[in-house]
This record gives sequence, C-alpha cells and structure tokens, in this order.
Amino acid sequence: MTSPRGQIDISGVTKRFRIKDRPLLALDQISLSVAPGEFVSIVGPSGCGKSTLLRLLAGLERADSGRLVKDGTEISGPSLDRGLVFQEPRLFPWLTVVQNITLGLQNQRMSRAERRRGVAEHIDLVGLAGFENAYPHQLSGGMAQRAAIARALVNRPEVLLLDEPFGALDALTRARLQGELQRIWAHEGITMLLVTHDVDEAVILGDRVVVMAPRPGRIARGVEVDLPHPRIRADDRLVRLRNDIILGLEADEASTNAQRPAAA
Amino acid sequence: MSIDAVETPRRLLSLPRPTALAAPLAGALRRAAPTVAWGLVLPAVALPGWYLAARSGVLPEQILPAPAYVWSTFVDMVRSGELASHAGISLLRVVEGFGLGMIIGLVAGAAMGLSRRVDDMLHPFFIALSQVPTLAWIPFLMLLVGIGEPLKILVIVKATLVPVVINTRAGIRNIPKGLLEVGDVLRFTTGQKLRLIVLPGTVPPVFTGIRYGLTHAWIALVSVELLASSEGLGYLLVWGRQMFWLDTVVVGMIVIGLIGYVSDRLLASVEARLQRWAPRHD
Repeated sequence: MTSPRGQIDISGVTKRFRIKDRPLLALDQISLSVAPGEFVSIVGPSGCGKSTLLRLLAGLERADSGRLVKDGTEISGPSLDRGLVFQEPRLFPWLTVVQNITLGLQNQRMSRAERRRGVAEHIDLVGLAGFENAYPHQLSGGMAQRAAIARALVNRPEVLLLDEPFGALDALTRARLQGELQRIWAHEGITMLLVTHDVDEAVILGDRVVVMAPRPGRIARGVEVDLPHPRIRADDRLVRLRNDIILGLEADEASTNAQRPAAA
Repeated sequence: MSIDAVETPRRLLSLPRPTALAAPLAGALRRAAPTVAWGLVLPAVALPGWYLAARSGVLPEQILPAPAYVWSTFVDMVRSGELASHAGISLLRVVEGFGLGMIIGLVAGAAMGLSRRVDDMLHPFFIALSQVPTLAWIPFLMLLVGIGEPLKILVIVKATLVPVVINTRAGIRNIPKGLLEVGDVLRFTTGQKLRLIVLPGTVPPVFTGIRYGLTHAWIALVSVELLASSEGLGYLLVWGRQMFWLDTVVVGMIVIGLIGYVSDRLLASVEARLQRWAPRHD
C-alpha cells in the first residue's frame, strides 16, 4: 500500500529576479497546500511564475522569503523523493533508454538486480518495452518524454513535479500521454503537480486546478474538479469548467493590462 | 534512422529493434564502394595527365620526372631503407611533440572550460599566442634552444596545442545547462557530473580538436624540417631540391601526404567508434 506521504505546504513564498537590472516580482506571497496523493494542475499565462514555483519545489532555486515544506521538512535543495520532468526530455544523447533511466538510480543504494528490476518495471509502466536499447535520437518526441517520465519515477518519489511535460508534443501524442499519465498516477498513488498553459490538460488531469496570474505572479483562484478518474475529454461538466477557467483568465488579463501603461 | 511519431506501443514493437539494425559487413562495403570510387576519380585523371605531360617534353625531365621514374626511385628508397629511416625520424618527432602538445592542451583546455578564474587568466594570453603562426615562432625558438631536437618538438607542441585547447574549452562550455540540471535533480555529486555528463558530452569536440591537432602537428613538422634539420621527410625535400633530384622530392611529397591521410582516417574511425550514439550524417 502507498504511504500517506507526499504532503506539500507552501506558505508566503516570494521570489524576485533581476532582468536587465530591473527587479521582477516572479512570485508574490504564494500559499498552497497539496494533500498526499493529490493531483494538482497549475495553469496560467506565461510570466505568471508557475514554472518558477515548480523549480522552487524541486529545490533548483531558493525562495527569497516564505517556506516550502514537504512532509514537515523544509525544502532546501533537490531530493530523490521529489522527481522532476522538464518540458524537454533532457535525455543524455550518448546513453540508451535503459542507461538513461538507470542513471536515475545513480545515488540510490540498491543491488544490481534490484536496479535492473526497477528500471524494467518503469520501462513497462511508460510503455517503452522493445526500445530499451534505442538511443534518444532514434525516439520520437513522445517516446523520449516517456523515457524522461520513467527516469523521474524510477526513484519511487513521493512527489512528481511536471513542468509543461507535453507542451512540445503534437495534439494527438499529447492526448495519448495525458491518458497514460492518469493511469500512471492511479497506479503509483503519488502526489503530482503539473504546470501547464493548456487548460484542457489541467482540468482533465487535476483533482484541483490552481489558476495563476502574472505581474506579480500570484494565485488568482483554485477550482475543484470533483469528477472521477479516468475522465473523458467530452464530459459536459469538464467542458463547462474549462470554459469557466478560460473566461476567468481572459478577464484577469484585461484587468492586468488596464492597470499597466500601454508602453510596457 | 528515426522512428516515426506513432505512439501506439504495439505498432512500435513491429518496427525493427535498433540492435537488429546493425548492418552486416557486406552491406557496409556495398554502401562504401561508390564513395571510394568517386574518391579515385581525381587520381585517375591526374596520373595519366602527369604521364602525358612528362612524355610530351614541355618541361625538362629534371623538373618534371615521369611517374615510372618516380616509382623506381620510390622502390629504390624503400629497398635501401632510406625512406623508412627518414619517415621513422619524422614520425617519432610527431609522436613526441603531438603527444606532449595534446596532454598540455587537454589539461589547459579543461581547466579553462571548468574554471571561470583560470579562463580569465589564461584565455586572453592564449588567444594572443595562437595568433602568431607556428612558423613565426621558429626564429625566436632557434635562438632559445638551438636547432636540435628540442626546437622541432617545441614547434610541434605549439601547433598541436592550439586546436586542442580551443575545442576542449568550447566542448566543456557548451555542455547543455539542462543536462547539468538533470544531474542536480538526481543529486549527482560534482565528481558524478564530471564523469557522467561533462566527460561523455565533450568527447566529440575534444576529438575534433585532437584530429586538427594532428594535422597541424604534421604540417609544422615538415615546415621545421625544411628549415632546420639534417634528417626526416622535410629534409628529404630540401636535399632533393638542392641536388636537383626532383624524383626524390616528389616521393617525399607523396609519402608526407599519405602518412597524413592515413593518420587522419585512423583518428576519424576512432572518433566514429566513440560516437556510436550520434545520428549518422552519411
């Protein structure tokens, strides 16, 4: 049975960048809690800080103020119990699929046999059986991203962070991988946080959709998606939720633009 | 080859596995044959041209020896061991100078690629140094170390050093940041990042640098032997010209070209072996 771990608590997190000597408030007082095993989609226009938030959770960057906590421990850097999938697969081109996934276990204490079994299991999980010895340049974009997901899951993390993982894929492949991700999430029972700019994707996958707004990056609202998994794209309730979120995003954009001088 | 963007695993399985794609030797030869044939077109035109020009008597025989005459000189020089002795001396100089230059180049290039501070310190100096052609170093070095073996070795070291340093430094700097970030996420130590990301990722550019280094070393060797030597293939050219033995000069030139060609092909095949993972551009 899965352990009830994978709780995330974000409170009052602020992150500033300097771009060409001008300060930019990327995240302004973000607070968010995610329950163990929950699937949360974070959606918003570019520049709303959604990827920055994910990078903070991954431990790749540090917040200027506020706290990010996982299972009661403050996040101070990357950890093998928080997996991360980037928008690009970022596979090592000189390694085969098996070798790339095995690399995920580089710093995991386990025997050779356990390692092999874990890698084989995850290759099956993402549907790459038969392609163990292919090099990344021989894979399609969708297959490469499957390998990247396997590499992130092979450590059996309690939280999986996904940074627009299907953003670069064609519509058909994207839809198929969304279905696969639902299945994997149900199978693994771990917490997942998905950053996306695709509202359809956000509502199909998420138990909850967090909508963010830019300048400064902040949470505009949270929407519960109280529908059973796996979900069907054409479901009326899903379509209504999606339209509702898109209308909200458009209204936010209009009001943000109204506050700013046109010259920006 | 690349596999289509078809996502159904079952359909993908029906495609041949990459391991089964290793072409049998016969197939490889069949594909290489046209390449080799095209490569022989120029020699096939030049050789009869040379023969006819020599035969027509447009140029005196002392200046343009006939191919048959050059061939018999070549056979004589091989039999007497003269050619082997000159080539052996030249090769030994290249091995010493190229080996030393490569080691220094790899260390300096890696240090510059890995450390900002070392790079700030060495890079401007190195660029200035590399702008002075190898040949221009010879007068100064002659005064410093004389015209003995150290001069030849130093000149070859310098010639090798430049491309090796430039490519090693660039190779390390061009490692995608994204891959290093994957290393961060997977909790790689600095040592693991160097061994598992930087090292394999820099093999292609470093090897390109080494290949250029060898070409430059060989050119520098012949130049320095032309100027200051009493043995070696470069000396053979000077000596043949002074004696007006143009057949000897032509033999020397052909041997220099052949050794350079063979050594470059050898390194190219090692390079291809180290990069089996890269997409083929043939």
